[in-house]
Amino acid sequence: MSQWQDKNSTINRFVKNPRETFGEKKTVHRNQCILCRGTKMLCGKEKCPVLAKYFSKEKFSPALERNDIAGSSPPSVFIGRYGYPKVAIGPMLPPVLGDTTYLDTPELWQDITIEQLIDFRTQLVRGTHLADVHNLEGGGRIVDATREVALSVNAVDMEALFESKPSGGVKFYSEAQPHGPSAPIERLTLDNPKYEPRIEKAFYDTDLKSRDAVIGLHKDGSLVSRIQKAFSVGAFGEGKNRKFVPTRWSITAVDSMIGEHLMEKTKIAPTIDEYRIYEHIALDNRWIILLMPTEWCFELIEAWYPDTAWNPYDSKIQIFSSYEFYDGRDAYAEIGGCYYASRMAVNELLTSQGKQAGCVIMREAHPGYILPVGVWNVRENVRAALRTQPKKFESLNDAMFYATSNVLDIPAKRWINVSGVLKHRLYQRRVEDFLFTGESKSDRQDVGAKTGVDAEAKEGAGTDAGYEA
Amino acid sequence: MFKAKIKADILKTVIDTTSILVDEAKFHITPEGISLKAVDPAHVAMVDLSLGSKAFEEYKAEDLELGIDLGKLDQIMKLASAGDVISLDYKEDAHRLVVKVANIVRKMSLVDTAGMPDAKVPNLNLPAEVVVKSSEISQGVLASKAISDHVALTADTDGFELSAEGDTDSVNLKLPKDLLVSLKSSERVKSLFSLDYFANMIKAAKSSDAILLKLGNDYPVMMEFDIADGNGHVVYLLAPRIESD
Repeated sequence: MSQWQDKNSTINRFVKNPRETFGEKKTVHRNQCILCRGTKMLCGKEKCPVLAKYFSKEKFSPALERNDIAGSSPPSVFIGRYGYPKVAIGPMLPPVLGDTTYLDTPELWQDITIEQLIDFRTQLVRGTHLADVHNLEGGGRIVDATREVALSVNAVDMEALFESKPSGGVKFYSEAQPHGPSAPIERLTLDNPKYEPRIEKAFYDTDLKSRDAVIGLHKDGSLVSRIQKAFSVGAFGEGKNRKFVPTRWSITAVDSMIGEHLMEKTKIAPTIDEYRIYEHIALDNRWIILLMPTEWCFELIEAWYPDTAWNPYDSKIQIFSSYEFYDGRDAYAEIGGCYYASRMAVNELLTSQGKQAGCVIMREAHPGYILPVGVWNVRENVRAALRTQPKKFESLNDAMFYATSNVLDIPAKRWINVSGVLKHRLYQRRVEDFLFTGESKSDRQDVGAKTGVDAEAKEGAGTDAGYEA
Repeated sequence: MFKAKIKADILKTVIDTTSILVDEAKFHITPEGISLKAVDPAHVAMVDLSLGSKAFEEYKAEDLELGIDLGKLDQIMKLASAGDVISLDYKEDAHRLVVKVANIVRKMSLVDTAGMPDAKVPNLNLPAEVVVKSSEISQGVLASKAISDHVALTADTDGFELSAEGDTDSVNLKLPKDLLVSLKSSERVKSLFSLDYFANMIKAAKSSDAILLKLGNDYPVMMEFDIADGNGHVVYLLAPRIESD
């Protein structure tokens, strides 16, 4: 099923009826950016024009203007996706020696600005080496070194000799963090890395399924960014199944696996008792996480203001969403990896509290969010919001009123209009809404036998009477 | 005590009609037959199913409750072919249901019924009753699913109508009185429903010839049909969607 046919998406509605939603037809072409985010090349151009305009602007330090670089990889690796299954793999390193861990640990980037982020990520030179994703064991020195770096617990000192001076400018992705120029590796020497013990254990266990390794590491407290790095170099799974996984895919694979595992617990836990609003603002993104006292369901709604990363051409706010109800969804979320990252973060909170809830995340990306910085932004900022004390409300109306009058700029009505989950909550009646309380008999034979029930039962419609009541 | 033999396709129908709404169900076993009532996790729909002892090849039981994981039972049923007779035997001491398919014996652990509340069936007065062939309606559902998440069911004195509104397209299935098995409606009534649920219910009813739909205005729909050659009966209730608020 293609994304255009998936009914779980409100995008479907927009694309089908451009006139109604955006006023004029040509904007359909413009809002492709949100769906594509530099990955699908929907506009037909060879390079993403949104990303390309930043390539030339950035200046690199003279330390990168040379064929050989000595530095400490944070540790960091990048596995490309073009040409799959023959892709460019390799470590990333800055021209600095020392503890560079911070440069590739999104969990630590709580209070940085976009400028700071770009500044230090630009220093990461990406070494490339063309490798077959399946050829892990006999791949040669550079393949081995890349895998060793990815599993390291500390920054790894290394010296790289490149075939040419690093070039290509700073690269931005929708899922992965930006990085600096790249060059093919000719020779690589590195200090023996010390592996992170938990990850090392999973690495040597060639009977442990990859999913179980990821879930187990997350449960034991390994950082998601660490698990994802090891995952991308094929460190987990049954021996014969191991392979390199492009960085972009590995990020979402790990978020999705952990999230789905936690969801199994969420879906059988007792529901929360009230409506909750968690709020957070970072990188000119405003976040509202609404939890509702209902069965598990989830939606991420993103509103992109004009001049933000993925809404560069239009003069109107573009809103998109993906959602799922209790039974989950069949197709990949239209809005991409951020859906899975935020879904995981919400389930971390719910399982830690042993609770179930319905969740709607409302995100406003304001004009200060000029560049895509990667899915970590969604994962870490949703987590940050959920670390705060929530405001509690009696009703959905009260919760939405608070959110839209104190944090969000877009009115409640518009959020509801584009939302699958909110509309469902507001408009879908429940079986218990029609339970006639005070009626003792409930056997089928009685159904429809009474007259005059209609009006009274209708009065009860819309109340939240517990089902067992 | 519960000891019975049943044709594979009948047991399969019981599983299929129930598992569209729940993963586990509490079966009430009596000397007369088995029954269950269950509401889906989102509380949008419920199923009320009964299967008389005549639907079984052999049947011996006293009053008890069995909590059954429908997924597990379905796994076992995959081993059976259509004509097979499945034997069911409840072992009280081990709290297991012994299921025999041909020469395979599966001892299936049961779900604790203590945490499974009895579903209550709302007492509804639904003015319109339509009996329609399931084949007539399933094509309309298929057409609606392609364009929308919701379907409107309408009945008046002249016939029954199923319609769906997409963003640009619409689907309409009109069945005048003479294409229906029967129609009882003194006024025009209309309600809107989630197509996901309604489509699954219609699919579950495909084995039976005719479906009874009871309708009201912005009110739940009740869908009833027979299973096991009239020895069993299924009632679905689906809560409406009301957008006028």
